[in-house]
Amino acid sequence: MSGSGSPAGPARLTVENLGVTFGGVRAVDDVSFTAEPGAILGLIGANGSGKTTTLDMVSGLVTPRQGTVRLDGTDLAEYLPEERQRIGIVRSFQDCRLYPELSVLDVLLLCEDVKAEVAVLSTTLRLPWARRAEKRKRAAVDEVIGAFGLDRFRYHRTAELSTGTRRVVDLASIILAAPRLLLLDEPTAGIAQREAEAFIPLLRRLHQVADTTIVLVEHDVPLVFELCTSVVVMELGRVVAEGPPEVVRADPRALAAYLGASDEALFASGPTGSSSAGRSERPPMSAQGE
Amino acid sequence: MFAIAAPNFVLLQGVIIGLGYGLLAVGLVLIYRTNRVLNFAQGQVGVIAAVFLVKLTADFKFEYWFALVLSISLAAGVGALSELVLRRLFNRPRVLVMVATIGLSQVLLALTALPFIRPHNLYKPVPVPFDLSFTLGSVIFTPGEVLTLIVAPSVAIALAVAVRSTSWGLNMRAMSENADSARLSGVWIRRTSTLTWTVAGALSAFTAILNAPGQTSALTEVLSPDLLLFALTAALVGAMINLTVAFVAGIGVGVLYELLQWNVSSTANQQLALFIVLLVVLVIRVRAIRKDSRSGERSTWQYGATTVRATVDSLRSRISVSGMWLAALGAAILPLILNVGNNYLFSQVCIYAVIALSLTILTGWAGQVSLGQFGLVAVGALVAAHLGGSVPLPLLLLFAGAVTALVAIIVGLPALRMPGLFLAVTTLGFAIFMQEAVLATPCWTVPGLHKTLCTGLPNPASTLIGRPSLFGLGLHSDRSFAWFSLAILLLSIFAVRIWRDKGVARRLVAVRDNELGAAAMGIPVLRTKLMAFGLSGFMAGYAGACLAFSTQRFSTATFDPTISFIIISMVVIGGLGSIAGAVLGALYLEGLPALFGANPTIQFLTSGLGLIAFILYLPGGLGELLHRSADALTIGVRVVQDRLAARRAGGPPGLGADVAPAGPERATLVPKAVES
Repeated sequence: MSGSGSPAGPARLTVENLGVTFGGVRAVDDVSFTAEPGAILGLIGANGSGKTTTLDMVSGLVTPRQGTVRLDGTDLAEYLPEERQRIGIVRSFQDCRLYPELSVLDVLLLCEDVKAEVAVLSTTLRLPWARRAEKRKRAAVDEVIGAFGLDRFRYHRTAELSTGTRRVVDLASIILAAPRLLLLDEPTAGIAQREAEAFIPLLRRLHQVADTTIVLVEHDVPLVFELCTSVVVMELGRVVAEGPPEVVRADPRALAAYLGASDEALFASGPTGSSSAGRSERPPMSAQGE
Repeated sequence: MFAIAAPNFVLLQGVIIGLGYGLLAVGLVLIYRTNRVLNFAQGQVGVIAAVFLVKLTADFKFEYWFALVLSISLAAGVGALSELVLRRLFNRPRVLVMVATIGLSQVLLALTALPFIRPHNLYKPVPVPFDLSFTLGSVIFTPGEVLTLIVAPSVAIALAVAVRSTSWGLNMRAMSENADSARLSGVWIRRTSTLTWTVAGALSAFTAILNAPGQTSALTEVLSPDLLLFALTAALVGAMINLTVAFVAGIGVGVLYELLQWNVSSTANQQLALFIVLLVVLVIRVRAIRKDSRSGERSTWQYGATTVRATVDSLRSRISVSGMWLAALGAAILPLILNVGNNYLFSQVCIYAVIALSLTILTGWAGQVSLGQFGLVAVGALVAAHLGGSVPLPLLLLFAGAVTALVAIIVGLPALRMPGLFLAVTTLGFAIFMQEAVLATPCWTVPGLHKTLCTGLPNPASTLIGRPSLFGLGLHSDRSFAWFSLAILLLSIFAVRIWRDKGVARRLVAVRDNELGAAAMGIPVLRTKLMAFGLSGFMAGYAGACLAFSTQRFSTATFDPTISFIIISMVVIGGLGSIAGAVLGALYLEGLPALFGANPTIQFLTSGLGLIAFILYLPGGLGELLHRSADALTIGVRVVQDRLAARRAGGPPGLGADVAPAGPERATLVPKAVES
């Protein structure tokens, strides 16, 4: 569909020795990890540990000073952000700003525009293929709008939506973009605890429907351990621990780096690690939202 | 290529005029720092003081110093008053405030004509308190210039001291860093802002009074684009923050200007050199400005333009579509009724509406503020002037559009990397360059190639072209040309509506609203921006060709860069981003003043005061007004429909409820009807 002839299905992301400095500060230093096809890789760490910067380098918004980013073995160094999108890297942003003045319909149509761009001239002359393309785009978008229950918001400007609804629009646009590698930057940021819990099944379904590899940056540690197939812990720009959730959970370096040496933090969803003992005994998250 | 001669007296002359630019630039920076407003009225405030000074000394025989204090206080008061009027706009999109200051400067110009300000003898020079002159080289420096050399630096130093050490200065600096936190830490930002405008008004008064003795009359329009360009350039070199750098840069610009005057013989080459230097300086400074500008800078120079307003309601969309056709039909009948002069006016309005539409795409949708749209129009007119009779009209229009699109893309190239204000300045520079260099030079030799190119107006003082015919139909009469212009306008509206609804506008708006997000989503950002310039240029180009055929006789003066300000005003009055608004804006600004006839005061008040009133009280512009009345009409029609349905149903109540649900519920019942 993207026209570049890239294979469908989830992609393997390999990051090797990635590093970048901002004004003398090593924001990311010698970071390596691999996300296997179809995996959900969680990237956790304290504020300023370089998670978002790593995502920025994978999506091409920040040029690394050293190291490589590979998608299925292809070095992405020469790819512009929009070209990376063409080969299936899709990114959602922490602030989820979207486009304040565009309606939900337009935001979703944009995703279709990227897949099949119609030249201005043929649009202006309303040539048959331009009409057909627009009709096809609208049909695809209508389907997604229905599936995500966004009918009511179709003509609302995104600026008018609540953060939660904007997230849903964001996820809908991800489905439309048909990613092979999905980069999610704190999808639960700015969302109430209850809604965040509902996100786990939503993300699972997203993972299944979109059939993609996911790299997830998230502060909600229980959510990450619940959802991810492997976890990378970062501290001050370096990887201090990585592996399957069970392994990382037991790793003392990971505990020291982020998990605050408190077991409770592992089981309490939410930004504050200091929750009551009663909550910490609860089994992690499984059936909450379903 | 040639040695640059720089005699002392030329340098000194440069410093003297540069001091004026510097003071003006400092005023611009002061206000920009405080309110993030680009104040186009900055020059005009001072003119009031200069004119009033003449009035006081010549008509009322006041003592010079007393009169000076009075007139500077007047300008300071006018500055403060302007702030009070514009205050409620400071949280609105920047381009709106900018246009409001354009309106303000026209109102101020009208004020200078008031009987208690305007002197009996307009051509009485502004007095100078002493008779001190000296000679350097072969040039005599007049008392007025000596006065500038003494006063301007003193004013600058006094201001620097005030900014550094008074509480106003501290508050102002705090406010420029972060108005919200300044406010929370107890800075009374409203008073600070008013004070800043007062100081800027006084500064402007000094500029005008010092510059005035060199001119024949003080009653000049200071919104001269050249002066504005110089002052803006100096202000931008100071990154719109640094007062000292802006002041020194102003002097630098003055010296550069005088050096060019002295060394380069033709005006065209002077303009070319100035334009190139301007671009180079801005490109060099862009990095510094990006670094210096606070994080909020980019977002504050943004828009709240609503581009597409979709309706879910089938009746509502039927009403707007039929309203559009009715308006088109009415406009088509109008030329039959109008006389020759009014038919000419009719085609002018149509063509200006097309130009406004071209700016709607660029500024309303893509968010790029262009102060030089009329420069692009001039390119289209040039094509018409050269190929007028030899090419069939449709081909000519397409060609004019294509050439202008290319020029627009080139002009837009620097904008890809520059923050919004820069494009405003480079496009203004481009419009001036078009008028004074390209149009004014009929032919020029390519350096090195010894080939002569004729790209300017064949006769810069008065070029005459005949109206062509279209498919054998003559367009010579004003009536047939009116119809032709209307057809062009309707076609343009049709095209722009397609762009709005079928996928072009949403890409432009996406890149405007969230460039990073759009790039990550896979939208080619650079190409999208250039597309905006291309489309806008294309429309401006064929509109320019039509304008040339409509006017028939034109000179370089026809393409006055200030008309670009009027065009951006049209777009804002109509409602940024609105298609119907652009047309209504053109009708208001181009049609109304012409109908009210020759009285310039009335004209200034309709466009100047009208402009401010519109922006203050009708934020969405005329387009919004139209939209609201269509809404009201829809509700009315629906009430009538429901009544009729109820009456027809008559008897059993169960049936009546079945037929006519209430308005809002019905609206949600037909969400998909509009789509087809």
